Amino acid sequence: VRCQHYPPLRALQASAVLRRASDEHKKEPFTSSSQQHFESPPAGHQPEQEPQGPRPSYTGQGGQESEDYESEEQLQHRILTAALEFVPEHGWTAEAIAEGAKTLGLSVAAAGMFHSDGSELILHFVSGCNAKLSKLLEKEQKLVQLGEAEKKPIDEFLRHAVEARLRMLIPYIEKWPQALSVLLLPRNIPSSLNLLTSMIDDIWHYAGDQSTDFNWYTRRAVLTGIYNTTELVMMQDSSPDFEDTWRFLENRVADAMTMSSTASQVQSTGEAVVQGLMGAAVTVSN
Amino acid sequence: VYQVFESVAKKYDVMNDSMTLGIHRVWKDILMHKMNPSPGTLLLDVAGGTGDIAFRFINYVSSVRERQLQRKLKHRQNLSWQEIFESYQKDKFNSLGDSRVVVCDINREMLKVGKQKAQHLGYSEGLSWVLGNAEELPFDNDKFDVYTIAFGIRNVTRIDLALQEAYRVLKPGGRFLCLEFSHVSNPLLSRLYDLYSFQVIPVLGEVIAGDWKSYQYLVESIRRFPPQEELKAMIEDAGFFKVDYENLNFGIVAIHSGFKL
Repeated sequence: VRCQHYPPLRALQASAVLRRASDEHKKEPFTSSSQQHFESPPAGHQPEQEPQGPRPSYTGQGGQESEDYESEEQLQHRILTAALEFVPEHGWTAEAIAEGAKTLGLSVAAAGMFHSDGSELILHFVSGCNAKLSKLLEKEQKLVQLGEAEKKPIDEFLRHAVEARLRMLIPYIEKWPQALSVLLLPRNIPSSLNLLTSMIDDIWHYAGDQSTDFNWYTRRAVLTGIYNTTELVMMQDSSPDFEDTWRFLENRVADAMTMSSTASQVQSTGEAVVQGLMGAAVTVSN
Repeated sequence: VYQVFESVAKKYDVMNDSMTLGIHRVWKDILMHKMNPSPGTLLLDVAGGTGDIAFRFINYVSSVRERQLQRKLKHRQNLSWQEIFESYQKDKFNSLGDSRVVVCDINREMLKVGKQKAQHLGYSEGLSWVLGNAEELPFDNDKFDVYTIAFGIRNVTRIDLALQEAYRVLKPGGRFLCLEFSHVSNPLLSRLYDLYSFQVIPVLGEVIAGDWKSYQYLVESIRRFPPQEELKAMIEDAGFFKVDYENLNFGIVAIHSGFKL
């Protein structure tokens, strides 16, 4: 029986490592994504576990000024971020986390806070990439709104978004297949699926998708398919700067566009045929 | 307490095996697996007299180190022979990767038995044996990566002092691990366990070690020891974070873990 505990009130002055919130001079680039856009999601998507804000201040012994201390979760995020730099060498493992902890001045034993298969590290990285993508798309949207940039047609937009997101994998591409297999472990599937769907939602949001009807599902399914297959192609692509992958992506997006126009063509043809038949029936009856 | 262990030292291992039917080995293996130490870890094993945890630590770390070295060699495919030779030589003499374990015990006899075992089993490097009291450790602050106490904390008179000392000697980010008998919540199992403890164990004590009283003391001390949640609260009071416990065998034994953050 495992038991987790988040104590409500403790003399954190005794804490040796948890920093005061005021010490954080740089905003974390990889804080869990707080920009999640959802329009009437059909299945209740819960936002991924976010770091708690600094806990309420405590008065210390001897009447010291109370300070806000970072929470254990924030420390864990710092360790994981530091660990990313060691992934190319050690893989997505507890060893990388241990090295990361070392750079923060902590004992290597701090890696024991995480699972030994590196799941948390991978999830942390994925959510960080998604946050980066959101920021990028938001920035570009602002430029379009200010009239400083052209609004891209939808197929180009999708290609650009997926390529930007996949390029974030490049520094870790050697060990990424390992990461994918860990993300598929039953234990991790809820989180990894959640991250994937929220990323796809994000892309569609910035692409200008306002639909709340049946098309919502098909659009997400299609884009998810495009993203996953392109990612797999990228794993075994050895062409310079992954040009084969981008060409594959271009083809898949083009397919998707044709498919949707074909679908609407089929629909209007169908309507035309029905009308023709009705007309014929009326003529015949007269 | 000292006298109990003086008489018990020589037969300690044998008694452990017979009392727990050899399962204690599994418990200690699980503890090591949970610790998952990387090479370069400095371990303090308190009340670790006969060295069980220490030897497991060394085995674990050397196998991790071996794998590390193999991986490094694979990456060196493109170096010249000279460079490979030099780096291989350097690593070969570092089979533990700078990991070390200090075994601390209050009882000289237990340490003696431990040293003899080490010699007998062929453990030479990375081991230190220190005489010391868990309530007042003879070490500086912020020294160790991991502190373990396996089946020792229930023999400490002031558990809170021992926990405070553990906190003191650990580095920031260091981990506290405690393996100890604990409370069985399942009522049926609890009755069977009680039966076994009070009827069988002292008898075994008499037969194998010629000492009924010590083993009766043992069983009683297990019953008096605080249950999982209470121990967890005590560990938190000492200043540890992310404290949790894992029950083994339905609560017969529990591993408590905390971090100095």
